[in-house]
This record gives sequence, C-alpha cells and structure tokens, in this order.
Amino acid sequence: MHRALRALARRLLGVRRTPAYYLPWITRPGLECALVLHNVEARFKPGWNEGPFELTAEQYGADGRLVARQRATVRDSTDAVELPLTAPREGCGFVVVRGERLHSDLYVCLFDGRTSTMTHGRGEFIERYPPRTRALLALLGGLAALAGRTLPAFARDQFVYSGTESRSHVLLLNLADVPNRIRVDVTRDGAPLGARLVRLPPCGAHLLHLADVAAPPARGTDVWRLRLTGNAWFNLYLVGAGREDLAGPLSLMHVK
Amino acid sequence: MSSNLGALLSATFYERGDEHLVEVIHQRDAARYRRLASLDIGVWDEAGTRLAAPAVDAGREILDVEALVAAVPGAPARVMVTFDARYDPAIFPYRPHHYAYLHRRGSPAPALYYAVNAGLGGVPDRIGATAINNFETYVFRRRPLAERYSLLLGCLSRWAPVEATITAHYGEARLAREVRLAPRAHVEVPLAAEHEGHRLARVELKALFRLVAYVVGRAEAGGELVLFDHLFTYFK
Repeated sequence: MHRALRALARRLLGVRRTPAYYLPWITRPGLECALVLHNVEARFKPGWNEGPFELTAEQYGADGRLVARQRATVRDSTDAVELPLTAPREGCGFVVVRGERLHSDLYVCLFDGRTSTMTHGRGEFIERYPPRTRALLALLGGLAALAGRTLPAFARDQFVYSGTESRSHVLLLNLADVPNRIRVDVTRDGAPLGARLVRLPPCGAHLLHLADVAAPPARGTDVWRLRLTGNAWFNLYLVGAGREDLAGPLSLMHVK
Repeated sequence: MSSNLGALLSATFYERGDEHLVEVIHQRDAARYRRLASLDIGVWDEAGTRLAAPAVDAGREILDVEALVAAVPGAPARVMVTFDARYDPAIFPYRPHHYAYLHRRGSPAPALYYAVNAGLGGVPDRIGATAINNFETYVFRRRPLAERYSLLLGCLSRWAPVEATITAHYGEARLAREVRLAPRAHVEVPLAAEHEGHRLARVELKALFRLVAYVVGRAEAGGELVLFDHLFTYFK
C-alpha cells in the first residue's frame, strides 16, 4: 500500500526513475581511489557472459558537476580492469557505471600507499524531476529550511560510531537531479545529541563529519543513531576512519 | 508478536584485540521494530566445540562481541560467534542481515563496517538466497599491497561436515585447495598473493552447503583486518 502510494505520488509529480549502478568515491592527499570493473558474476549466465564489455564511468563531484567521463573495456567475464579516479586531489561524490550485459557488483577501492579497502556499489536509480515539481520543491523546501527542516519524502536510519581511536563518518549521495535538503538528527540512547540540515546540489554529495554534528566521547566508542530525512531520493555510505581521522587511511562501506 | 516468524542464522569471527560491535537489528524509527523475537548466541572454537552460549536480551540493538568473548574463560585468539535469530518480518525491511563495526585497538587502520554473513536459516527466501548460493567469487586488485589475503570459513551445519573447494586464480593458472569442516568448525585459508609471476586475480568458493565466508585482508605489519567482506554468488 505504502509502495503503491509512493508510485502514485511520483506519477502525479512527474518524477522518473532512471536505473543507475553507482559507487561512491573519495580522494584525499595520500589516498588513492580506484574502481575495479569486471563482470565475473555473469560467467554462468548464457547471453550475458560473452565479452568484450564496454563500460562508461561518469564521475560526479560534491557539487554535482561531471568531473570525468572514462571508458573501459572488460575483455571477458574473467577479466578485471582498474580505473583510477585521479581528480580532484580532494573530493567526494559518486560514479555511475553503465554497460550492456553488465551483471556484477563492481568495487571501489581506497589505497593509502600500503593497504587497500574495498566495497561494492549499488544498482538503484536516479530520480529526474520535471520543471513544475522542481519549482514546487524549491518553494516548499525553502520554507521548511527556514525552520531547519526538510520535506520528509525519504527517510533512512543508520547507526554510526564515534570513538577516540576510530569512527564512521557518513557520505551522503543525492541521487536526484534536484537540490536535496537532508536533515540529520543524531541521538544516543534516545537523547538528542544534535541536528544538521545539509543542502546537496543535484547529483551532489556531502561528507558528513561526525564531529560537526555532535561532540565525540572523551573515551571509548559511542554508538549514535542517525535519522536522515530528505526531500528527494538519496543514499549513504559509511566512511571508516582510524586514529588519524580523515587525514589517515579510510574505508568505504555500503549500508543496508 | 506475529505468528509468522522469520529465521536468520549468521556468524562472524571475533579476533582478540578487536573492538567489534554488532547491530543486531536494522535500525528502524518505530520502537516496535527494534526487538527480535529471540536470539541465541554461540561461541565456537576452530574445532567446532561450543565454548559458551551466553544469554542476551533479544531487545538489545547493539551487541559488544569483545565483551561477550572476554567473558568466555580460555577463549582462543579467534572464535566464531553465531547469531541464531527469530524475528517479525517487519523488523527487517530489506534483506535480513546484521551489520557490524570493527576496529583493532591501537591500529592505525581505518574502522571497517560490514554485513554479517548469513547462512541458511529457516526461511531461505527471506535472506535472498533461493538460488544456489554456495558457489561464490571475489576479485582482487592486481597491484602489490602490504596485505595478506585469506578466506575465513565457518560451518553452520548442525550435524553434517561440509567439504569445500577454494580455487585461487593467477593469470591462466589456478591453485585449488580442499577443506572439510566439521559442524561449527572454522578455518582461515591463506591465499598466496602471487603464483608464477602473476598476482592473485580472483577466488572461488564451492561448497556442498553454504558456509559462512569472508574475504580477509590483513595488514602485513600488524595482522589486523583491513578487508572483511562477503563474496558474491554467481547465481542470483
């Protein structure tokens, strides 16, 4: 029922959903980011497993602008191609990978010069809004923002970890071609710790540093509950950090 | 509580020195979605001997595995911890999984966050595993890294041993190894980084029944985990 109502609302508002396989990316000084493109999971799928597989990767920055467009050829279903994301020197966002007969989860790797962490992307969609709905969102969203609120069209719940030795930051990805105001409410054991309203440009991203939302504990690791609400479709990845925080090695990890 | 309960049997590995917190449920806003119907925990050594079955409150959202294992007398450096859960399907809006946060104390490595590997529970369709899910694969970066790879495998069966083949691919060459795991036994299978001048490209795991399986990368210097990920099935 809930799903049907959402589908109806999308139709009335003229929102279209374009299928997209996307992966997050982060670059920082001393931290390389690369995609591993392959199609090995299609190996035993007749009609899907014969290469070569031509892929394109469109890299969007935090401001939602296209940073780079790269092409890659995966020779066959046992081949893997590494695609370094070299620019900018410091940034974040997401990459949309397209290719026919692609039927595998692709990886994004963060490399600090010694070790590499990896996670996979998501096969979802990007929402496209018609002009009248954009205008409506801009008006109503602007009014809600005056009170520090957003239009709660989508909500996500996520645990995050804030510690003295390690922590998990949040990489927010706006998977819509309209500005997305995302409100982040942080609680611990039911008590509010802080709240923040973040405005992401169309197809933009934002690395939410936990310390900007609430103070870390003096010792040990705290588990915080995040409630995220946005006016358009969005997703998030966790960014694991160690004692050097964002200046040190990082990991990226998908959530449920 | 619903009379139509789902089942989820999953497992992770705890290693001494790690801070390891398991999200027992997917977080939901409504309080009624924040409680399992039941949760049985088991702590198992490498041979499959049960070391402990600590009672935990099924309403607990976060489980501190480090504290749980610390209370087990004589626990070895690595144990398998199983989570046998019964739940109202509304608790898991998406594919049921526990998630977890992991970091070696004192290590410069970043924290890791991962999906706890689910074996076949009472209702396989609820874990998205109606097709063959005991034939899995993973790909690796080709560049040399200061880390060692392996597979951590655990057997969730209650009575029957499970045989598995691990095949590591290097260029055109492959190295295969057979393992046999008694019920609730577990093993770490090292994967050589190179063979005949070729880097490790991918690994395949084939088993008669589904195993708990993680791809592991350890920092060469300290041995702490820098990669702890699930494999991918060929058949979705």
